[in-house]
Parts: sequence; C-alpha cells; structure tokens
Amino acid sequence: MSAIAEHPAAKGSAERTERAARAWRLWITAGPGLFWIILFLILPSLILLGIGFFSIGNYGNPHLPLTLEPFREVAGYSILGWSPGNIEVILRSLVQAISAAGLTILLAYPVVFFIVAQPPALRPLLLLFVILPSWTNQVVRTYAWMELLGPDSALSHLAQAAGFIPAHLGLMPGILAMQIGLTYNYLPYMVVPLYAAAEKLDWSLVEAGRDLYASGARLFWSAVFPQTIPGLLSGIILVAIPAFGDYVVPTLLGGGKSMMIGALIASQFLQTPNWPYGAALTIFMLIFTCGGLIVFRVMSRRLGSSEGSMI
Amino acid sequence: MKIPPRSARKLTLAASMIAAALGGLMAMAPPAQAAGKTLYLFNWQDYIGKGLIKKYEAHCGCKVVQTYYDSNSALAAKLKAGGDSQFDVVVPSSYYVPQLIHEGLIAKLNKAEIPNFRNLAAQFKNPTYDPHDDYSMPYQWGTTGIGYLKTKIASLPESWAVLFDPKLNPDYPFALMGGSGRDTMGAACAYLGYGFTCNKKSQWIKAAKLIEKTEKRKNFTGFVDGDPAMGQIKKGTIAIGMTFNGDVAECYDDKSCLNSGYLLPKQGTEIWVDTMAIPKHAPDPKLGYDFINFILSAKAGAELSNFNLYGSPNAAAGPMLSKELKTPLIKPTSAQMKYLHFLPPLAGTKLQTFNAIWTAVRQH
Amino acid sequence: MSAYLARPVRRALLLTSLPVYVLLYAPLTLIAIFSFAPAPGATQPGWHWYADLLHAPDVLAAFRRSLTLAFGSSILGTILGTLMGFGLSRFRSRARSGFAAALPSLIIYTPIIMPSLVFGISELIFFNLMHKATGLFAAGLLTMGIAHVTFQAPYVALVVFARMSGLDPNLFEASHDLYADGRQSFLHLTIPVIRPAIIGGFLLAFTLSIDDFTISYFTAGPGSTTLPIYIYSAIARKGISPDINALATLMIASVIGIGLLQYAFNRQKERRPMPRTGD
Repeated sequence: MSAIAEHPAAKGSAERTERAARAWRLWITAGPGLFWIILFLILPSLILLGIGFFSIGNYGNPHLPLTLEPFREVAGYSILGWSPGNIEVILRSLVQAISAAGLTILLAYPVVFFIVAQPPALRPLLLLFVILPSWTNQVVRTYAWMELLGPDSALSHLAQAAGFIPAHLGLMPGILAMQIGLTYNYLPYMVVPLYAAAEKLDWSLVEAGRDLYASGARLFWSAVFPQTIPGLLSGIILVAIPAFGDYVVPTLLGGGKSMMIGALIASQFLQTPNWPYGAALTIFMLIFTCGGLIVFRVMSRRLGSSEGSMI
Repeated sequence: MKIPPRSARKLTLAASMIAAALGGLMAMAPPAQAAGKTLYLFNWQDYIGKGLIKKYEAHCGCKVVQTYYDSNSALAAKLKAGGDSQFDVVVPSSYYVPQLIHEGLIAKLNKAEIPNFRNLAAQFKNPTYDPHDDYSMPYQWGTTGIGYLKTKIASLPESWAVLFDPKLNPDYPFALMGGSGRDTMGAACAYLGYGFTCNKKSQWIKAAKLIEKTEKRKNFTGFVDGDPAMGQIKKGTIAIGMTFNGDVAECYDDKSCLNSGYLLPKQGTEIWVDTMAIPKHAPDPKLGYDFINFILSAKAGAELSNFNLYGSPNAAAGPMLSKELKTPLIKPTSAQMKYLHFLPPLAGTKLQTFNAIWTAVRQH
Repeated sequence: MSAYLARPVRRALLLTSLPVYVLLYAPLTLIAIFSFAPAPGATQPGWHWYADLLHAPDVLAAFRRSLTLAFGSSILGTILGTLMGFGLSRFRSRARSGFAAALPSLIIYTPIIMPSLVFGISELIFFNLMHKATGLFAAGLLTMGIAHVTFQAPYVALVVFARMSGLDPNLFEASHDLYADGRQSFLHLTIPVIRPAIIGGFLLAFTLSIDDFTISYFTAGPGSTTLPIYIYSAIARKGISPDINALATLMIASVIGIGLLQYAFNRQKERRPMPRTGD
C-alpha cells in the first residue's frame, strides 16, 4: 500500500469508503430478498392487522369507518348477545397446544434416550425413522387418523366399551381425535431438538452422581434432565406454537363441533366472509404466538444456550 | 481481462439460472389465451359426465378445462379473487344468484344467443331469484332433505323433529348442514312453525337459539355440507344428516348406500335450482353462450341428468330421461311439491344480518 | 456411553420406545393396506385403485402443477436466499448494534415463525386487494409461487449463512490480496465453497413447496389445484375412500423412498475422501 494510504486522514476516509462499499454490497446482495419479504409478507400482514379495525360491509368486505367492533366480537358479543363460545375456542386451542406439547414430551424422552443409548453407527438411522413420517404431507398424516378413529373402527369400539364416549359415536370427530392428531403430527418436532441436546450430554456428571451413590431417578432429574432443557424448550416452541394455530387437524378431525382458533379464523375468510372479525381474531392469535416466543427467548437466554449460527 | 473458460461456464450457469427463475415465475403466470379455443368451466364436482364433456368438445372444436368448488361461498370468494376474469361459465345455486348480481360478478345474458331457452319447462322460466332470466339459466334442480341410515334408525316421521327433538334421536351421531346456513336456519324456522322461508330477524334469532341448543347435544358431530353428509352416512360416521336428493340417487345407482333413506319434512324444505351464469369479465363469453345453449338442448339435457341423477328443468329432454329420474325421489309428487320452497333471495343489509346471526351460531 | 446406562434402564427404554415407533407407522401402514381394497362390486383385493389413478386426469394435472410450482419457486427462492445469507454473513458491519442491525434478522425470521394460517390469509387479502386495484395478481399459480418464494428464501438464507459462518474469513482476505474484485471472489471462491449449502437449500425449498398445504390453499386460484389441495378437497368431499388411500400411499412411499435414498447417499459420501474445492 502506498504512503498516501498510510496517512491518518487518508486512512479515515479510506475506512469510510470501505464502510460505504460494504454497505452497498450488503444492499445489493441481501437487499432483493429482504425487499421481497417486506413487500410480500410484512406489508400484507400489516394490512391484515389493520383490517381488524374496519367495519364490515355487505359481503364481508372491510370498509371505513374505523371501529373496535371486531374486537367486541372476539370477546364474544354478537347479534345474539354475549356467548362464551369465542373464549372457549381460544382456551380450547391453548389447552390443545399445551397438551400436545406435554404428550410429545412424554413420548419423545424415551425415544431420544433409546436412540442415544445405541452405538453411534445406528443412531442416524433410528432418528431418520422418527423423522420420516413428518416428511409426508400433513393432510395425509391427518387423514391416516381419520381412518383409525371413525365410529365403526376398532379403537372407537374400544372407547365405547370403556365408557369414554357414548355408544354409537366415534372418537372422530372430537376433541380426543384432535389431540391425537396434533400429537402425532408434531412428535418429530419435539424429538429432533431433544435429541440434539441429548447427544451432546456430558455424562461425566452422571458418573459423578453415581460415585456419590445417587439413585436412578435422582440421577436423571439432577444430572441428565437439566442438560436437556435447552432442547426441551426448543421442542415446546416448535410444537405448541404451530399446534395452537393449526388448521388441518381441527378441520378434518375436529369436525366443526369443537372449533379451534385456526378453523374459526379460516371460516371468516372462506365460508361466511367477515374479514374484520377474522383479522381481529388473527391479531389475538399473533399476540399469543409472540408472547410464547418472547417467553422462549427469555428462558433460553437465562439458560445460556448458544445462539451460534442464527442469523 | 480475458474471462477464463471456467468462469464463462459459471457466468452462463448464473445467467441461465436467473433466466430459469424468471421463466419459472412467468410459466406460473396466467397463460395468454391458448391458441385454439378453450372453455373454462367452474362447476361442482361430479356434476357433468366425462362423456358429455367430450361430446361438447367435438361440437365446438374446443377444449374444456373444468375446475371445482364445493360450496357457493367458495365460488363467490374465488370469483372475487380474480376468478371472474378466468372462467367462462360458473354454476351458482339459485339463492346465491341475487348476491352475485349485486356484487357485479356475473354478466347480463343476451337471450338471443341462447335459442334453446325455449326448451325449459314453464315453471323454471322467470324465477323469483332472477326475474326474466336476465343473468342465469337453469342447469339442474333438486331438493334438500334428511338422509339417514335405515340400519341404525328404523322409522322416522317426515319432520324436522328428527334433527331437533332429542327424544327422537338421543344416541346416534347426526350433523346439520353448514355452508351459508340458509338451509339449517330454514329447517329450524320450519320446525318452530315460522315456515322454511322465514324472513324476519326475530324469527332468525329464535331459530339460532334452537340450533345452539342442538349443538350442545352429545351426539351432535358438527356442520357438514350436503355432498359430504351423504358420504358420511354411507360410512356410518353419522346416522342422520341433511343432504340432497341427487346424492342419494347416485349412491342408490352404484349400490353403495342401499341401507340409506331420504325424507322430505312436511313442515317445509328446500327446492333449489343450480344455474349457469357467465362471469362479468369472462375470457370467451361467446363460447360460454355456446356451452349454455348446448346444455339446454334436449339430448344434452337428458344425458346430463341421466349422469348426475338430479332433476332436469328441460321439458324437451323429458322423454329421454332414465326411469330413476321419474321416481318420487327425483320428481317429487304434487303433494310434496306443496311444501317445497325456493329460498328467498337475500342481499344487502338483510344478508348482513343473517350472516351475523349465522356466524354467531357457528362459533362454539 | 451406553456403559452409563444399566441394563434394566436400557430394557425399559426399548419397551417404551418401541410403541412410539409403532405408533408413528401404524396409521401410514393402515392407509397402504386399505388402498388395496377390492373394486366396488368385486371381492378380490388388488391394484384397481392405483390403476384408476393413472387414468385420472385431475390427479395427474395436480401432480404436474405441484412440480411446476415447486421448481419455479425454488429456483427464485434459492437465488434470493443465497444472496441474503451470503450478504448478511459477509457484509454486515459488526460494529453497529441496536435495532438497525437486528432488522434484517427480524425480517428474515418473520416468514419462518409466522403461523402458516396467518401467512396464507395475509397473502389472500393482499392479492385480493392488489387484484381489485390493479387487475394483476389474479389468484393462481403466480400468487402461490410468490407466497412460496417468500417462505423459501429465509430457510435457504439460514442454510447458506450457517455454512458461511464455518468459513475461514482469511479466505476472503487472501482472494483480496490476489487482486480479485468482489464479483470474481463471489464466483470463484464463494460459490464453489458454499455449493453444498446452495444445493441443500434448493432441496429444502423444493420440499417445503411440494409439501405445503395451508399457504397454498389460501393463495390458490381456480385452476391451480396442487396435489395436497387435491387430496384435501377429496377428503372433505368423500371422507375416507380407497382411491384417496392409493394416492396417499404413493405419496408416503415416495417420501420414505427418497428419505432412505438420501441417507444411503450421505453415508456413501462420508466414506469417499472430500473433493478439493476451487480449481
């Protein structure tokens, strides 16, 4: 480099042009993609949120004046007076999402540790077998359970005999069917992050515990389980949030009797159009979703999980 | 600086990828009208036979591309999203026609282009839902009623009480019709004594409360549209539901539901006409007129009804209809016709009120 | 490591895991079994429904559309995503902090964390309004393609970004010292090195597109039925029926087949020595 560039003032301006060149390069590479996302997702979402504040026109279209009426509808007020229906739908969706997360946790832990206990050569194959069903289409996966849970199926007869459901009715459509469908659909999403955490487990802690004569259960809870918590949290987010807003499972297995918020929102756009009300419901759904994500970020920062290669 | 051969290859690769991307995106853009005429038909599923389509293709020297929808609200939604410039012929139900006219989605018809209009039976001309047949032509007609599984429930009265009275059906799974809600609300109104064509807000509210009570019963499985309801009855998923007479006739015909029955409640139920209409900005309206005229011809009309087993509004096709179409299932007796009603057209604020009530009923 | 787990523990793990594996595959197997149901009126099980599929123009058209949509959108999605991943990894100044620096990350993550239902409905409304205003963007393969690109690009960006993170920054210094300008660095150094990430990203984008149902359902126009939409409509109309079973079985079998193939292929690659990058 010449002496001119070594001069302090020149160096300052060289740095500035360097920074400008960098900024330009950033714009030209990442710019198109970011612009695309802004134009085709962020802008539409903002429009959707905005529509939640409009009045409803004759055929469900939004138009001025602005109003909070859609939010009153979300709270349950309708032309028939107040009904708890909406609150039930939201609560039901929350409960379904959390139960799905809980059930997948119960099912995932044994599988994860079973895989981890195998010789390393076998592990990817066993993990693949868990993941493969999730590569099939969600509609197909849910359809599979429609077969298994209709009123004339073996499982339904079993449930009838055991008194879980009234005679002649099927498990499908129903709340239990939705629960099974959600758990089945999202189980692999719990297994993968748990496995990622379990594979990096530091077993020396277990060994130390054993040296101190700790019992099996104690060993698990104090030496093993805490190390899986980052994976557990990821899994909870990957299961609960999509399960909360799922559309396919409640529509096919829930049968329209016990609605979840996804089906309710969709019907405001596809069946009896009422765009402002649908938009207001969506805002609520997003509030819950974002709330969950914030909780996740706070907890994972607390537990110091690495955010390594995250953009 | 001379570009070494490898970079040239990479540059060509990059350029061809970009070209491919743009080409891919453009391939997905709506195609310019294909050389050689194409009729874009938007219809219910299984409503026109493949043989009849082929006959029309031979007649017009064109290709027919058919897309399907499963409810009138889906049709309206897709038309509003741009479908009104993508299809030549659509098939809305009679009670939806006023709404489509009001929203400016279908075009006024020039009856000079449809000479076979004279083939229609008199009672289907100049209907209340479309005075002077300005916007639509009848396609098929039928009734809405109660479908049920004879193996589960032996005998039922011809009444809406079958659905709304818990004493008549305490245990077996049943469903009500979903969709736009006009049929279910009409049924509730009829059961309460207001008549199937009730039109007052206070009556609607009472009907809505009855439906809400019905939803709470433990053997209520949900809201199902007419075609799927028959499918569910066949499978035994439900024992009683609301469905259309043609669906029942079809499965009698292919012997897949011989243990099912169909009844028309005496308090009043729906007679409907599905119609053909041309969307406002149809790509080829002339072809649309040609298709409508073809369907209204005697031979095509007969073949159409013999396939989908619904009633034909075509008087000229009468002699060629199969014997199934002459049974009371498809051709109700004159006594039954007395309690069959067209759904009154709803538009504007009245429709808004109805929709608000129906939405409130649906969220549980 | 398995030495840390006592025998009875291992046996308990096996006993509790086996039912989970069975649970994962039982429904899919059942679909396959019922797809061989006899034709109506016949008594012999057989390939009847599969044969019907080959003659069903609707199914074939839906399949073709799924492929067209997936290819078209994946190419554009991969290009946009690769550029984003590369640019954000290489050119973002680390000095800045705060909102401006975090903005690109937020934007890229939005399509990933947004629930598909909200995604789909936003697009529905947006294209609807655009169509009313400009007459363009009629619902159809184009609008579906745009929506697909929007959720593919971030995933590709993440894959490429992860790969770039693993690179030695001195590589870029070295190419700069050799008087290569930005474009030449990109073409001769970056692309060959991150090529596995680009290909992986493309495959990921392709899979996401083929498999998508919710977003496609809301952005589909008349005449743009893809395979998942076709199956959903058939299920909504008919409920359970053997012809749907046959189609579903084919989809399941192809996914499992591709999955196993990819696994075998990866194992093969691991055994061969790494090919040298660059020229």
